[in-house]
Amino acid sequence: MRSPSIRALIAAGAALTCVTASAQTTPTRPALTRPGVLAAPATVDPGARPPSPDGIDWRGAVGGLRQSGNTGPGLGRGLDPAAVDKTKLPILLPADADLMGGARLYSFGDYYSITANLSGARVSLTGAAETTPLPAGSKLNLPAVGPEQLVVQRTVDGQLASFVRYGVLYTVELRCDAPSDARCRTEGFVRGLVAKSTVVVMGKAARQAAGLGA
Amino acid sequence: MRAPLVILILILLAVLALVGYNSGWFGSPPVPGAGPPGTPTASGATTPSGPAAEPEEPVGDGGVEQLPDEAQPQPAADPAKTPDAPSAGSFGHFPAGDLIAKSGSGYLDRTVWSPDLCFPFAEAAFANSQVYGAGGGMGPKDKPSQCDSSNYSLPWRDNFCESRGYASPLCVSGKGHQGQDIRPATCKKDLHWVVAAEAGIITDVGTYTVTLTGAAPPHRVYRYLHMRMNQLAVKEGDSVQAGANLGKASNDFGGTPTTIHMHFEIRSGVAGTSTDGKAVKLHTFLPPYQSLVAAYDRKRAGQACH
Repeated sequence: MRSPSIRALIAAGAALTCVTASAQTTPTRPALTRPGVLAAPATVDPGARPPSPDGIDWRGAVGGLRQSGNTGPGLGRGLDPAAVDKTKLPILLPADADLMGGARLYSFGDYYSITANLSGARVSLTGAAETTPLPAGSKLNLPAVGPEQLVVQRTVDGQLASFVRYGVLYTVELRCDAPSDARCRTEGFVRGLVAKSTVVVMGKAARQAAGLGA
Repeated sequence: MRAPLVILILILLAVLALVGYNSGWFGSPPVPGAGPPGTPTASGATTPSGPAAEPEEPVGDGGVEQLPDEAQPQPAADPAKTPDAPSAGSFGHFPAGDLIAKSGSGYLDRTVWSPDLCFPFAEAAFANSQVYGAGGGMGPKDKPSQCDSSNYSLPWRDNFCESRGYASPLCVSGKGHQGQDIRPATCKKDLHWVVAAEAGIITDVGTYTVTLTGAAPPHRVYRYLHMRMNQLAVKEGDSVQAGANLGKASNDFGGTPTTIHMHFEIRSGVAGTSTDGKAVKLHTFLPPYQSLVAAYDRKRAGQACH
């Protein structure tokens, strides 16, 4: 008589544990990746590198790297090779040779910042593996969150766009010399740069983390 | 007979588990203060619960930090303030989120987002509003001079969520000032040194902005506005130590008038929840006031930056 009851309680406990565990893992899941990139042929055995401890979707990033074809090396040619090799993130660049010509990469390993010049303005591109959790009581007042968690924010001197791809938080920021510069007063220009940000470059550290070898 | 009962118990337990998770019974995602050294710390967090009344955009001939035709913030009403007394031994300052009346609705959370911040001035300085203070475009009419003693004395005052047209997702209206105004020790430009808030690299120098990216995770981004740009001590690509001279406080603003002050921003990648309940990660502006207060306390106590 008691045995089935005990079994039922054990089963209920197991169900409770499973539900709790799955709920608790939700916040640490890798962020969204672009559907097009996910559809790319897998070149790394996903079973061999199950979710990366750094939270980066390396499979998606390698798909992006392959989709970039020969564009990546060309666009990234001006970047400091040592800084590229040090960066343990997929570096994301806009497919814009004029903008990337002369761009400077500052790498911190798990974070990078690229500065590029435009006439009368500059563009900053960053990638970060880490985010800081906000206090539970703080809510974000955002007018709109787009695909890949795209958010565009007006700044004192321009526009700041951030989005999540391959589990990495990327930014594209436009800063104008003159506060009245039309490119900085509306979102169109920076959104265009985000749309062009399709080229993936990976140096030694990133390739190693992705299982491609250095 | 027992099978339906067992299934019912399982369903109830599963529902309880879900409700419990959402209520934080099993622990919520990590909050600032619970992480490793270098992560932010919080105390006495209070979140504004209601909208607040906002005035017109501040425009005028002094203290302007945006052009007159920019978007207006959403109207809102002042939230209930939760003043807390400065800690013993601290200096005179209003609590975080306690803005000048009618200048906006403050962010009341007490998180110190940059726990090891090096106070960004080499000398004494005064955090307050350069738009709503004396001599500002929205300042008191009977105090038309930016050099008024009220601007160069305690107490400090937060102005992160002050009414502006810039995106500030942590502010009640979603718009705000994005940073803190800090006046130098005296009302004299091109004299007082502004210093590095953290060790890092100067990743950008604009016509009136300097950007410092912290070398240590989470690689906070500090932005300094309105220094004398043709007399900077740094250039893009320079590595700097905490406390290193960057430039001198001034009023450079690309030809737009402003007072002698330094606009100071802290940015970082954050993970949070939007007001409509969606989990979101973004790179955004964090309130610098509590970090500045803590850094100024350390400075006054003679602690060196590191």
